[in-house]
Amino acid sequence: MNAPAISIDALRSAVSAFPDDSLMPARLDALDHMDRSGFPTPLQEEWKYTDLEPIFDISNRWLADGAANAPAVSHQDAIAVICQSVEAHWLVVANGFIDEDSLARAKVSGIAVTRLSERESAFCFDAALADLNTALLHDGLHIGISATTTLDKPIGILIVDDASTCVGVSQSRIEIELEPNSEAEFIEYHASIGDADHYANTVIGLKLGVGASTNFVRVQNRHLNHSQTARLAAELDHDSRLDCCGFDLGGRLIRNDLHVEIQGRGASATLNGLYLAGDGQHIDNHTRSDHRVGPATSAQEYRGILSGDCRCVWNGKAIVHAGADGTDAQQANHNLLLSEKSEIDTKPELEIYADDVKCSHGTTVGQLDDKALFYLRSRGLNKKYARQVLTRAFAGSIVNKSPITTLRQHLAEMVEKRLGELTDGEIL
Amino acid sequence: MSTESNNLESLVNRRYEHGFVTDIATDSLPPGLDESVVRAISARKGEPGFMLEWRLRAYRQWLEMREPTWAHVHYPPIDFAAISYFSAPRSDQDRPKSLAEVDPKLLETYDKLGIPLHERARLAGVAVDAVFDSVSVATTFKEKLFDAGVIFCPFSEAVRDHPELVRKYLGSVVPQRDNFYAALNSAVFSDGSFVYIPKGVRCPMELSTYFRINAANTGQFERTLIIADEGSHVSYLEGCTAPMRDENQLHAAVVELVALKDAEIKYSTVQNWYPGDENGKGGIYNFVTKRGDCREANSKISWTQVETGSAITWKYPSCILRGENSVGEFYSVAVTNNCQQADTGTKMIHIGRNTRSTIVSKGISAGRAQNAYRGLVRVMPQADHARNHTQCDSLLIGKECGAHTFPYMEIRNPGATVEHEATTSKISADQLFYCRQRGISEEDAVNMIVNGFCKEVFKELPMEFAVEAQALLCVSLEGAVG
Amino acid sequence: MLEITNLKTTIGTTEILRGLSLSVAAGEVHAIMGPNGSGKSTLAQVIAGHEDYVVTSGTIHYKGRNLLDMEPEERAREGIFLGFQYPVEIPGVNNAYLLKAAVNARRKHQGMELVDAFEFLKLAKEKMEVLGMDPRFLNRGVNEGFSGGEKKRNEILQMAMLEPDLAILDETDSGLDIDALRSVAQGVNAFRSPDRAIVLVTHYQRLLDYVEPDHVHVLSEGCVVRSGDKSLALQLEERGYDWLREAASE
Repeated sequence: MNAPAISIDALRSAVSAFPDDSLMPARLDALDHMDRSGFPTPLQEEWKYTDLEPIFDISNRWLADGAANAPAVSHQDAIAVICQSVEAHWLVVANGFIDEDSLARAKVSGIAVTRLSERESAFCFDAALADLNTALLHDGLHIGISATTTLDKPIGILIVDDASTCVGVSQSRIEIELEPNSEAEFIEYHASIGDADHYANTVIGLKLGVGASTNFVRVQNRHLNHSQTARLAAELDHDSRLDCCGFDLGGRLIRNDLHVEIQGRGASATLNGLYLAGDGQHIDNHTRSDHRVGPATSAQEYRGILSGDCRCVWNGKAIVHAGADGTDAQQANHNLLLSEKSEIDTKPELEIYADDVKCSHGTTVGQLDDKALFYLRSRGLNKKYARQVLTRAFAGSIVNKSPITTLRQHLAEMVEKRLGELTDGEIL
Repeated sequence: MSTESNNLESLVNRRYEHGFVTDIATDSLPPGLDESVVRAISARKGEPGFMLEWRLRAYRQWLEMREPTWAHVHYPPIDFAAISYFSAPRSDQDRPKSLAEVDPKLLETYDKLGIPLHERARLAGVAVDAVFDSVSVATTFKEKLFDAGVIFCPFSEAVRDHPELVRKYLGSVVPQRDNFYAALNSAVFSDGSFVYIPKGVRCPMELSTYFRINAANTGQFERTLIIADEGSHVSYLEGCTAPMRDENQLHAAVVELVALKDAEIKYSTVQNWYPGDENGKGGIYNFVTKRGDCREANSKISWTQVETGSAITWKYPSCILRGENSVGEFYSVAVTNNCQQADTGTKMIHIGRNTRSTIVSKGISAGRAQNAYRGLVRVMPQADHARNHTQCDSLLIGKECGAHTFPYMEIRNPGATVEHEATTSKISADQLFYCRQRGISEEDAVNMIVNGFCKEVFKELPMEFAVEAQALLCVSLEGAVG
Repeated sequence: MLEITNLKTTIGTTEILRGLSLSVAAGEVHAIMGPNGSGKSTLAQVIAGHEDYVVTSGTIHYKGRNLLDMEPEERAREGIFLGFQYPVEIPGVNNAYLLKAAVNARRKHQGMELVDAFEFLKLAKEKMEVLGMDPRFLNRGVNEGFSGGEKKRNEILQMAMLEPDLAILDETDSGLDIDALRSVAQGVNAFRSPDRAIVLVTHYQRLLDYVEPDHVHVLSEGCVVRSGDKSLALQLEERGYDWLREAASE
């Protein structure tokens, strides 16, 4: 077996410096597991287009430097700005540490937030980088929404990292559990500052009880030099509903894994996303819906706009297991390539083992519609402006689908800004 | 659906009609593969030195390669040492000069297969190059083609009579190292077809070849090379049958197509290998590498296939769209029933400017079969204005089968337009009842629906194959509904 | 023509028809009405021979023959037509192709000459004109992408082409707007003849304004609870089905 990508010895040494709290046994188990199974490589189908070498390199350097915990996040204004511009019960995880003040502010009826270190049991994740997350996690949060609760504001989880002083690696883990018939909205917001290299690894588990419903929006707007891997694993019980929408605007090497398990009849999952990539970026979205039981529905729609020397990957998988009759699974991926140096690798996958199902997928890669362009120009818009209008509309369709209405304006502004940066250069 | 399924079950159990064995003494090599076997094969065919060298180079490379394992198929490991790599009927020594001289037992074999050489040849004007267990037996209509300047002969003959063409083009589309089975084939290929169409010639008839595997444990390693020179046009039909056997048999063929400027090659296959019995025992392993190179401008290569046999199918007829304005097409119907497994699709590689590819794949899955479409559309950075449209549809019959689609799209040019659509459906009890209430029997209803599902592909087949294909589909799906 | 005696049927473990008796003679138009769940559609499906429904007792005789012995396609070829409540889509199968196959299946069974493509098209276009249908319907997949009204019209077109002796129209009027309803009714009326029987299964009285029934039967909980003439339908319209249920339980 080849040498592991991240030095296990260095990891062990780093973990031994952690306080010996209730999470330590899990950390040690995770280390053993990583030692046995190794790390993802492009030789594996799931990682074919995304080489995590840069992330391993950052990790090894950080470990070699002593695996220092970053000091408190400077630029507290940055955090404040986000928390003030978006109405939510904000929980903050800064450099991998839970911010106490925000925890206190989240004491709201219907929501129970506890540290993972204070809990008896934990969610299980079976994935390569989830072990890394477990091993290096200082602490995480469990958010419970009690039965039949409906909240007035979304719950925001702001995960922010500061790499101003040194190379950094941080972990964040959130467990969310919605009891039957409860409703809540969540915002997973990623931001980072600082010019040194940084790698953030997030793992979020989401369990929806019978009849529970949630709108979940993920916003990733990290520093263009920082990398991240993020996993969201959701389990849906009878008649539960998940509407999830992810936005990737920043980052250097980004890999998102979204895995939904449909475990009860009548469940429905909507998984949408938008990725905007420019020079030097590599954004990879892997989504997977496992339909174990039917009837149930899942619908995926991801859109991407690529400009400059960048590469994006989209892999949407829907697996309909035997017996999941009545499944309706749809996938769609649409991409706009604006430059000769952009590359998109897209693969919608269907594995179907039941016959009474309705499944389809559609993927397109192309440019702006000539007829639409001409139409706009015939109404007086100049070519450049017409392109911008159509490009904005292409991205806007996902913004409009994002399920947290109070967040839309903020999202629209961020998308507009990033699009402006991407399209000010040459457009073909 | 109790009585329905009883009726349907009685439709099943029509035995694989081609399941029989010809017992002709064969001149086989003992099982196992090493350099001496490669030399023996080359010697028996009287090949010139360059061919032996080529084989040996391939063999040495094969030794360093590993079997691929990523296909969505499962099979017990193949023991390459237990296969005999050469089997020929004894009458190989004196090649028959006309049909009259062919071993009558062999002709009887073809009779049973429903391809009486003389009748077919006379009525349809089709030249038949019948390959029997690794050696070509009879080639008809050679003269007619000769007048047109078309060369259509067994590969072994081409190696001797047209070495310059073979040297120029062999391995130029599927290099020896391309994949494990291609390397194996390059080392031990026994025979196949060689076609050369000269400049500006439209081949006067459709070319056809039938394959057959007979002796137990004889892997069949066919090698076919078709070259269409500038402005030429050829339509080639390939149809296969095989007898019932218990041991799995390996079929690892390589087909290379080269289309030069303004040339067009249409390659159609109706494949009917033995699929294994209802429990998946026996049956052919069909691991084939087929690739077409649209080497120069305005060339076109179309692959049309109807695959209904094989225990395991692993094939991706592909097109390399190198020439400007070149066109690649892939039309496929893949049927799997009982315990068959198929992992098939196509690769379209867009390299030149203004290239276009069309993929229409129809998968029908029944019984406990698994049917996977695996396709790749790759648009290279210099492939300006590339266009691709892919349509992948799956029809599921019954609750225990599986249908899967894995389409890879790797796009590196912003002017590309790539569209992929896939749908999944089933033949529902409601649809069947509707047809029956209109007076149409269940069997006819299934055939109608399945053929309607496949019609886009069938209309691309040459006429005589289209009819055979429709019948083949019916036979393959007997007992599937219910 | 159709003689149903004490018919009991179940689907799965549920009994739907519980001793239904009905008699339909040639030349007659019968309307079968009743609340949802009374067994109206089940009756239609059972006469057509749908295998999900199991006949546990009773008999059905069609033209003197035991219908229950016959397969669905045989019943069709003998002249029974079911206009489905929810006509299924069969994409990829050309509407004209299905129709021609059905027409010829019936003709063959009756020892008549089969139609060729040319004759078929001529026949089809004539009937479509009467029904006010666009001839382009023929080229589409069976019911593929058809609106509700178009599907129902397609059923009537098939009936007109197949010329059955017994036509059972299952809620052919449901989901139709006035124009579509009129066109469907027109087709049904044009079809009436002394040799044919028509059974209209309907929830609402509306269709019966255009196609006057000779007999009206009301189903409740799997049996015929009342029979009468067309005025019975009007009474139901006014008083609702509860009235009959109350009357039946007295």
